[in-house]
Amino acid sequence: MNFELQQHAAWIAERASMTDTKRPREPFAPWDRRSLPGLFDVDETAKRIGHYKWVEIKLFEALGGWVATVPELDIKLRLGTHCYHHAWHAELFDKRLPELREMQTERLTIPPNDHMVEFFEAMTEPEAAHLTIEKLVGVYRVLIPHKIAAYTYHRNGTSEITDMPTIRILDFILQDEFSDWREGEMLIQSMIESPEELERAMSHQTKLEKIMLAAGGIVGPGSIGDPYAEVVEEN
Amino acid sequence: MRKIFPAEELARDSRFIRQTNEQRMGDPRGARIAGGNTSGNLAKLTPDLPNGPDRARALMHGIFVGEIQALEGAGRTCWDFELGDEVPLALKLDMARQCWDEARHCEISVSLAEHMGTELGEYAENALLYEAACNPDPVLRLTGVNRALEGLAIDVFNTMKEFGNMAGDPVLEFCEDWMLADEVTHVKMGSDWLRRLTENDKDRLDKALEFQKVVDRLFSFNGFRGEDDDSPIQLTRRFRELAGFSDEEIDEIADMSRDARFEATA
Repeated sequence: MNFELQQHAAWIAERASMTDTKRPREPFAPWDRRSLPGLFDVDETAKRIGHYKWVEIKLFEALGGWVATVPELDIKLRLGTHCYHHAWHAELFDKRLPELREMQTERLTIPPNDHMVEFFEAMTEPEAAHLTIEKLVGVYRVLIPHKIAAYTYHRNGTSEITDMPTIRILDFILQDEFSDWREGEMLIQSMIESPEELERAMSHQTKLEKIMLAAGGIVGPGSIGDPYAEVVEEN
Repeated sequence: MRKIFPAEELARDSRFIRQTNEQRMGDPRGARIAGGNTSGNLAKLTPDLPNGPDRARALMHGIFVGEIQALEGAGRTCWDFELGDEVPLALKLDMARQCWDEARHCEISVSLAEHMGTELGEYAENALLYEAACNPDPVLRLTGVNRALEGLAIDVFNTMKEFGNMAGDPVLEFCEDWMLADEVTHVKMGSDWLRRLTENDKDRLDKALEFQKVVDRLFSFNGFRGEDDDSPIQLTRRFRELAGFSDEEIDEIADMSRDARFEATA
């Protein structure tokens, strides 16, 4: 080893043995770009989470109820599995509500409007064994994509510091939603074998999408924010 | 979708053949497979019996269809009752969890059935288990399904686990042990909810326990499940205790089985 390298090694060893505990560091590391501002205050967050919880409950109840009505064995088992995913989401939201000052969690566990109630009535209407396509379309082509949209908007818009517990919950939930969405979509594709079945799927999807449109999304108007710019009219 | 979905309408593909309990009990072909399960010639399920492997295959198919019905029953409990008025959210969350567990049990048991050389639909299905899951009172439903039927599942899985051990089949033994753990959890759910929902309602508690006895009696026919050395399915005290059964309750099931056996041979 040459002299310079020896000196450098000695310097490193000295630094390591004498860590400067008084040297100031920033509270946020250079790579941590989280910021304080968020789109939702505490009350608005609680209100949205109450609606999410209501939707998750309605969904897991429906999936559980449909298990007995679906003859396709693989779909029967998937519905049973997904039923638990959404029940767990409801439980996570239920636990978050008291942390947002809502001790009577049932008070906020409500639909955003009557259209959302109508949506669930229409989504859960198919019961007969030959209506598996309609059952799957309602959940995996309409409801879950709308849930993913609303949860993503919330996750990306809320304060990354003050509301990190909600972000953490939504991250876990979105992981399930994406994976269930993919499984459900593949089941639908595997069920559609004729133009008539395709027509059935599209027609049912359109019917439900219209109700969802009237509802304004799973938490009502503003479920995914407002993308339009405000223009002040000049007189 | 209706509340309370009738057993006769359970959705199945063409491989499944439905049989009533009366048809099953009266089917003379049953004795060939079930020889050793009947009162005249009881024998614990072991690989050494001449019909041991056949009985095990039939039992595994029965487990599979039982798991489907358990999945359907737990799912219906999520749907059939109104939150707040009839059941608390926590109960429905438990039932949703049970749905996932039963779905996995279906996957396990259909794979094991194939592993044992059985085809799906080789044996008939009867809907006795799901019928217990149609009770309109959630307390009675949970007691009948989670304590009586899932309790029976504890006994069956433990017997099959021992069968796997004796047969030198580590796959069977491994899987049954995992399912056994889930069943203890389900029975404990039933015990806990029975206690919580009837805390101030002695009359409802009595009715639920009576319903449990009716279901237990159905599955104790001919002494099929009991504590005697030759009982085909062995009553499993240790796991039942873990799941919230008292010694008196286990004694009662053992007595029920002896009475059923006595009645059948008298």
